Amino acid sequence: MNIVIAGAGDVGYHLAELLAQESQNITLIDRDEDVLEMVSNRLDVLTICGDCASPDILKSAGVKKANLFLAVTTSEKTNLISAILAKKMGATKTVARVQNQEYIEKSTKANFSELGVDSVICPNKLAALELQKLIQESYFTDVFDFEGGKMSVIGLTLEACSPLKNKTIRELRVSSELNGIVRPIAILRDSSTILPEGSTTLKENDHVFFMTNDRKKLPLKQYVGKENSKINRIMIVGGGNLTYSTAKMLEKDFNVTIVEKNKDRCNFLAEHLQNALIINADPSNMDMLEEEGLEHMDAFLALTPNSETNIITSLSAKNHGVFKTIAQVENSDYVHISQNIGVDTLINKKLIAANNIFRFVRKGKVEEIVSLKGVDAELIEFELHRDNQLTKHPIKDLPLPKSVIIGGIIRNNSGFIPNGDFQMKNGDKVIVFAMPETIPVVEDLFR
Amino acid sequence: MNMVSFYPIRNVVGFLLMIVGGMMLTCIPFSLYFGESDWKAIGGAALVTAFAGFLFRQFKPKKGNNQVRKREGYLIVASGWISMVLFSALPYLFSGLFDNPVDAFFESISGMTTTGATILNDIESLPKGLLFWRSLTQWIGGMGIIVLTVALFPLLGIGGIELFVAEAPGPTSDKIHPRIQQTAKSLWLIYVSFTGILMLILWGAGMSFYDAINHALTTMATGGFSTQNASIAAYNTPLIQYPILLFMFLAGINYTLIYWGLQGKLKKVWASDEFKVYLSFVLIIGIAVSGSILYHTDLSIEESIRTGFFQVVSLITTTGYVSADYTLWGPGTTMIFFCLLFVGASAGSTSGGIKLVRHWVFLKNTILEFRRLIHPRAVLPIKMNGNVVNVKILSHIQVFLLLYLALFIIGSFVVSIMGLDFETATSAVATALGNVGPGIGKVGPTDNFAWLPNNVKITLSFLMILGRLELFTILVLFTPYFWKSN
Repeated sequence: MNIVIAGAGDVGYHLAELLAQESQNITLIDRDEDVLEMVSNRLDVLTICGDCASPDILKSAGVKKANLFLAVTTSEKTNLISAILAKKMGATKTVARVQNQEYIEKSTKANFSELGVDSVICPNKLAALELQKLIQESYFTDVFDFEGGKMSVIGLTLEACSPLKNKTIRELRVSSELNGIVRPIAILRDSSTILPEGSTTLKENDHVFFMTNDRKKLPLKQYVGKENSKINRIMIVGGGNLTYSTAKMLEKDFNVTIVEKNKDRCNFLAEHLQNALIINADPSNMDMLEEEGLEHMDAFLALTPNSETNIITSLSAKNHGVFKTIAQVENSDYVHISQNIGVDTLINKKLIAANNIFRFVRKGKVEEIVSLKGVDAELIEFELHRDNQLTKHPIKDLPLPKSVIIGGIIRNNSGFIPNGDFQMKNGDKVIVFAMPETIPVVEDLFR
Repeated sequence: MNMVSFYPIRNVVGFLLMIVGGMMLTCIPFSLYFGESDWKAIGGAALVTAFAGFLFRQFKPKKGNNQVRKREGYLIVASGWISMVLFSALPYLFSGLFDNPVDAFFESISGMTTTGATILNDIESLPKGLLFWRSLTQWIGGMGIIVLTVALFPLLGIGGIELFVAEAPGPTSDKIHPRIQQTAKSLWLIYVSFTGILMLILWGAGMSFYDAINHALTTMATGGFSTQNASIAAYNTPLIQYPILLFMFLAGINYTLIYWGLQGKLKKVWASDEFKVYLSFVLIIGIAVSGSILYHTDLSIEESIRTGFFQVVSLITTTGYVSADYTLWGPGTTMIFFCLLFVGASAGSTSGGIKLVRHWVFLKNTILEFRRLIHPRAVLPIKMNGNVVNVKILSHIQVFLLLYLALFIIGSFVVSIMGLDFETATSAVATALGNVGPGIGKVGPTDNFAWLPNNVKITLSFLMILGRLELFTILVLFTPYFWKSN
């Protein structure tokens, strides 16, 4: 597959990294020569230096033969123009990253696809949706849905009083209430990933990822070991675009307080949000946060552009007894440390965007792909299009690599957690958990 | 250097007077049809007015700046209105109807400003031509004749926006069209057609053609002059009172909204906060007053609701029609009606008074002020229709409210000195300043203003013009800034 990526920023780099591991032919365009040099030292990609909105550059990047063109520079106008040009020059599918949320509305999307932009991706909106999900399902630190929630992966951290503590996976499996609806697929302990076996014992502070087919009815809530506190009051520090999109979704159902330093930005937020309370103050001023009722908050979202400020304020919010803390980090290396430092969740909107765009690469044979934070493995959703060796035997007899787990199966619009005797058939959507090195094997099996 | 160029002012005012003269002629057919002799007085007045207008427009200076800027705009509106009210008193004067010339001017000013306070004891005895002129003055004053002039006669060569702002003021200035001329035309088209529709309804409901046209004119202008001594109480039938009630309510809506409504953009209408406030305010006060009527009188439920809502809408829209004596419905209700003198309907309508949008912004700001005490760093703007009301408009509204209050107090004080009792003084000033018409006390719904001394009549006349042009247009002429270059 020939893929051209315009823009070697965080999103572009992360995408190139994900794709290069899969041995795709990747061409990366960027204006900054130094960045490109750094990229070509680390990744097996072709780099071209120049303006990605220039037809000449696009031509030399080979968009004519490209199966996929991804425009992910920080400038949405450049992205849109280069995606339109690429499409007209022969690219099969084009994706552009935008900032303006009007562009992802249905009617506008139709206009863009008429012009040649097949998909538009708005990182702010995606991150805001993720934040909303985290707030609504506040017991979990991570939530991913497959097929609109038929199957989900949730991540949670076991606290000191969790009843799951010191239990083995086998004990968990036989426990009648969890049988058939929940399967642990990975454990993150002290920054290393453990693939659960029957004899693995769960410990305090383990971060466990579960696969489940009914996250709404899940009894896992009480297993977290936190008090069952319902979120009502939310404080957001930082008033950027992510805050705006998030607050717009949350302000109907929750009491939202936003703290922002810049006066003009405050005026903008106050004009465009209906119910949120906008405070004009420096978010790092703890006295002020206390005065605005920090200890009565149920959730604290730190979304300033500064990762360190976000982490520090989230930690002190945690100290003030805030139930749920989420911090945005710009630096994607920080994402892996969240459980160790005490912030409930760290999010990085560029990773979210990259994961989202990654889906387009697999379109056709792969429905969805999810990277779990801190876990060195991916969840991939395949659809079985014809009968092959996978459908001839029950799962326990299939020649799968040891680290590959068949996490869930969606058949006729309902989700199943399969056991060893389960047999797949044509038309099933299969969610597979696999380490990166085994992904090509898995892909071959499912092709 | 001369700060004001006078020729364009003379030019426009002269033109206005010629139009007013022409308008007077439309009364003559009524006079002739009913076989009365007042056509002579009216015709004479029309001639004098038109000729005065003609004279005003002569002697164009050879050189000099003839541009209309802010100052000229205010002066045109102010002097245009003053000369209009003076000349429209001529038919009354020439017919010898009033012994006291002050009465003639009071009646003319009360008409043009759509106040509807009358000094006539026996309205029905008036010749039909003059009676029609009386209603027509309200109709002319309702929408604002200067806007009409700008709309129909672009040859005057004036940029209309200065005049538009001065004559149809208010905190909101939505333009329907990119061009002011088109905007004015649309507004007048709505005004004329609604008047026509109401006239047909009333005619069909059993009024005589003559009464129907008079009442249609004064309803749409939210004026309140009637051809009957008993006002609308003379027509105690639902068939007539409900249409008038509805059209009074319509006339109190922002005409821009009516325009959107007629275009089928109902979402836009419903998005207006002022409309929602107007509607709910009318409903709440209407129900309260209807309940009070039901309690204090032996009217049926339907009659209580009809008269209750009629009186409430009549006062909120500053029309001032009377379908019953509201001072007989208990002291609490009388107090409500006194307060209604200060309300006014929507900005951009033909109603007078303070207008609901100002009250609404003021109220919202007051509530937010308490929130600001608790959250001193919070950014809490005031929103209307989802948009932030900027600080300039907010301060303009607050100044207006305080100025209005000050003028009410000073006015009440002045007429008290002139010998009026407390209740009469305060309500007469409030009703004049708000262009309503009836008040309470000795100027209540069944009384009239004839008995007042001359100096009180002159004071009230001045307040009516101030109120009609929303204070600033007239008062700015009395400030030194207006006449100085800096």
